[in-house]
Amino acid sequence: MSRPGAVVEIDRTMPPVLFHHGEGVRLERLPVGSRVIYGPDPLPGLPHPQRAIRRALSHPIEDDPLPSLLRAGMKLTIAVDDLSLPLPPMAAPDVRQLVLQEVLELAAEAGVEDVHLIIATGLHRRMTADEIRHAVGDRVFSTFYPERLYNHDAEDPEGNVHIGVTEKGEEVTLNRRAAESDLVIYVNLTLVPMDGGHKSMATGLASYRGIRQHHNVKTLLGSRSYMHPPDSDLHHSCIRQGQLIEDAVRVFHIETTVNNHSFPSIANFMQKRETDWTASDQAAFLAVKQVTDLAPTHIKRQVFHSMRAPYALTSVRAGQVDAVHEKTLESVREQLTVEVEGQTDIVTIGVPYIGPYNVFAPMNPVLVVCTGLGYLFNLYRGRPVVREGGVAILSHPCRYEFDSVQHPSYIDFYDEVLADTTDPHQIEQRYEERFATDPWYRQLFRKSHAYHGVHPFYAWYWAAHAMQHLGDVIIVGGDRDTVHRLGFKCATRLEDALEMAEQTVGRHPSISHLRLPPLLLADVR
Amino acid sequence: MSFDPLGDLEQVRRGFRWGETRPSTWAPAAPAVPEPATDLAWARTEPALTARKLIQRGVSMPFTELMARPHVSGREWLDQLDRSAIIVSNHVSHADTQLLLYALTDRVRERTVVSAADDYWYQEHPWVGRMVSLWLNTFPFSRTGKPQTVLANSGMFLQSGWHLLIYAEGTRSPDGRMGPFRPGVGYLATQNRAPVVPIHLRGTDRIMARGRSIPMPAPARVRIGKPLVAAPKEDYRAFTRRIEDAVRTLAQGPPDDAVRGTWVERWRASSPGARGRR
Repeated sequence: MSRPGAVVEIDRTMPPVLFHHGEGVRLERLPVGSRVIYGPDPLPGLPHPQRAIRRALSHPIEDDPLPSLLRAGMKLTIAVDDLSLPLPPMAAPDVRQLVLQEVLELAAEAGVEDVHLIIATGLHRRMTADEIRHAVGDRVFSTFYPERLYNHDAEDPEGNVHIGVTEKGEEVTLNRRAAESDLVIYVNLTLVPMDGGHKSMATGLASYRGIRQHHNVKTLLGSRSYMHPPDSDLHHSCIRQGQLIEDAVRVFHIETTVNNHSFPSIANFMQKRETDWTASDQAAFLAVKQVTDLAPTHIKRQVFHSMRAPYALTSVRAGQVDAVHEKTLESVREQLTVEVEGQTDIVTIGVPYIGPYNVFAPMNPVLVVCTGLGYLFNLYRGRPVVREGGVAILSHPCRYEFDSVQHPSYIDFYDEVLADTTDPHQIEQRYEERFATDPWYRQLFRKSHAYHGVHPFYAWYWAAHAMQHLGDVIIVGGDRDTVHRLGFKCATRLEDALEMAEQTVGRHPSISHLRLPPLLLADVR
Repeated sequence: MSFDPLGDLEQVRRGFRWGETRPSTWAPAAPAVPEPATDLAWARTEPALTARKLIQRGVSMPFTELMARPHVSGREWLDQLDRSAIIVSNHVSHADTQLLLYALTDRVRERTVVSAADDYWYQEHPWVGRMVSLWLNTFPFSRTGKPQTVLANSGMFLQSGWHLLIYAEGTRSPDGRMGPFRPGVGYLATQNRAPVVPIHLRGTDRIMARGRSIPMPAPARVRIGKPLVAAPKEDYRAFTRRIEDAVRTLAQGPPDDAVRGTWVERWRASSPGARGRR
C-alpha cells in the first residue's frame, strides 16, 4: 500500500523544502511552524493494463458491452484527449494507445469500416504528427493518419454543427463527424478531478460558440473549486451540454486514471519528499541545480520538456458518462487527496516548467498566472488552503517570453490588454469578442499550431477566482516589469516575499507550502 | 566442431536482431545463387552481406534520413509477406534505390536484390557497377535483349528466397512523369506466383535529378501499397496493368482502400500477433 498524503510541520530538524522554479529548482527554508503539504505516494499500477481495458469494455457501467454496439456498416468516431493531458507527457506507451488498440481490435473484429479518430483539441492548438504518434502509438498512427486520424477544428464552419440549447440557454455545438456518427467512443485520461465526464465532449469537440458558455468569468467565479465538480458551475454547465449531446448521439465513454508518478528516475528527487532523499537524490538535486543555474534557457527547456513521466494506469472504466465519471473521480481522489486542517494566511507554490498549455513551449507570463493561480491554487476541495484576503507566493522566473507559433494571441493580450487592465470582467467585456473573431488568429489556429485567439482570455479567467479571493500575489524570482504588468508584486527572495506578505496579513502569519508537482488535492476542513 | 568464422558471424548476426521479432519461419537463407556468376553471386555471400549491412546502418541510412527526411507509409504490408515478393516502384532518380531500401523493414531489406541496368552499370562502368552491387545488392538486368535469360535469372532469385526490386518502367523518368510498365514484371510474378508490392516514390527528383551527380536535401515520400497477387488465370499483361494502376493510385493521395487495403486489413497486417503466427 502506498503512503497517504501528509501535512508536515516545519521544525528545526526538517530539511529545506523543494520549490519548482520554472525550468529550475531551488531549496528554501520556510519559517519554523510552517506546514508542507505532500500528496500521497504513487499508487501501484494495474498489473495487466490491457486485460483491465478489455474487461472494462466488455463489462461497462450502466451500458451495453462495447462489442455488442459495434456492427459492420456503422459510422464510428473515436475521440481522444489532446496533449494537455497528462503532464508531463507520459512515457510510451501512452494510455490512449493502450485503450485505442483494444477498441480498434473490437471494431476490426466487428468489420466496422467507417472509423475516424479525432483528437479532441477544443480551442487548444493542433497536435503535430509526432505528438499524435506518441499519444496513439505507431500502429494506430500508421493505419489512420492523416485521413482518418486528425485534430478537431473548432473554427471549421462546415465541420461543426449546432446541437441545441440547454434549459439555461447555453448553446451546444459538436464536431460534425461525431454528431453524424452512429456511435462516438470517447477515450479520456483523468489526471485531476476537473477532467473527464461530460466536459470531455462538451469542450473537446465543441466550437467557440459552445465553449464560451462556461469558459467565462461569471461561471469560473462560481466554480469553487473546479477541482471539485459538485461545487463547480463550470461542470454544471458542461453536464447540461453533455446531456444534450447524449440525446443527439450515442456515446460510449472510456475513462482512465494514472498515478502521480510524474518524474523519471533521473529526476527522482522531485518525486520524493525531502525527508526521503538519499545521498544520490541530493547529488542529483545539486547537479540539476548547478546545470539549470548555468545553462541557457532554451537548453534547459529542451531538457525539461524531453522528460517523460512513468505514469502507471490505476483504473479504467467504460460505459455511461455519469456513471463512469463518478467512479473515476473516486480513483483520482484516492491518488491525490490529502486532508488539511484549516486555512493559513499565506500559501507558497513553486510553479513548474510545464502547464496544460505550454507543452514544448515556454511558460509565458499569462500562463504562469493560469498555472499558478488557476490550476495549482484550485487544487482544493471545500475551501482554499489560504484564507480569504491571504497572500499567494509563487516562485517562477516569469520572463517576457512567448512562443510565437503556439501563443500569438497571448503576445497581444499581454502587450495590449494587460497594459489597459487586469480585471477579468473588464477584459471580457472590452476585448474578448475581438480576439475571438480575429481572422488572423483564426487562420493560425486552423492551419498552424496556435492556440485559439480567445485562449489567453480563458487562461486569465481561470485565475479570476484566486485573484478575487487573495489579498495579494507575490512572485519570487520573477522579472520585475513583467510581474508588475500582471498586476502583482515581485520579490527577489522568499524571505523578502514573506516580509512583504506580512504587510497584508499581519505579523507572524501562518504558512502552507503546496509541494507539487507531483499533484495533490487538498481537502481543507 | 569445425572452424567456420563466417558461419559463426552469420549466426550471431542473424540471432541478435534486437527489438524485432526474430523471423524464425522466414525462408531459410538460400545458398548464393549458383553459377553462372553473371549475376554477381559474390554480392550475396556472407562477407558481402555483413559489409552491406554495416554500410547501410552506418552510412547510407543516416545519410538518407538527413537528406530526405522520408515519410514512409504502409510499412505494415512488408511485415505480412510470407514469401518472396517483387517490389515494384516508379523510377525518377539514382536516389530511388537507397530511399526504397530505407523504406523497407530490416528483415525485407536484408533479403532484397535490386535490378540494375546491365548496359549502364555493368558494361559502361563495370567497377562502379561492382561497388553498387556491394552497396545495394544489385544484379545485372538486361534491357537490351536476352529476355528469357533475364527472366530465368530473376525467377531464380525469387525461388531462392530473395525479394526482387524492379523498376518496371525500365529507366528513370526524364520529366518526373511515370512511364508505362514493361510486361516483364507481370510475367515474373505470374510465372513464380510471387506477390507484387507496389510502391510510389515522390521527391527523389529534387534530391538528385536525372543528369545531376551531387545530391541535394529535399523531403521525400514513400507510399507502400497492399501486395497484389495475380488471379489464377490472369494474363501477365493484364496483371502488369493492374500493378501500374496500383502505383499510379498510390501517387495520387490519399490512396484508396483498394490499393493500400482497408483499415481493418492494415490493422490486422500490423498486428504483432499476426507476425508471430507467420
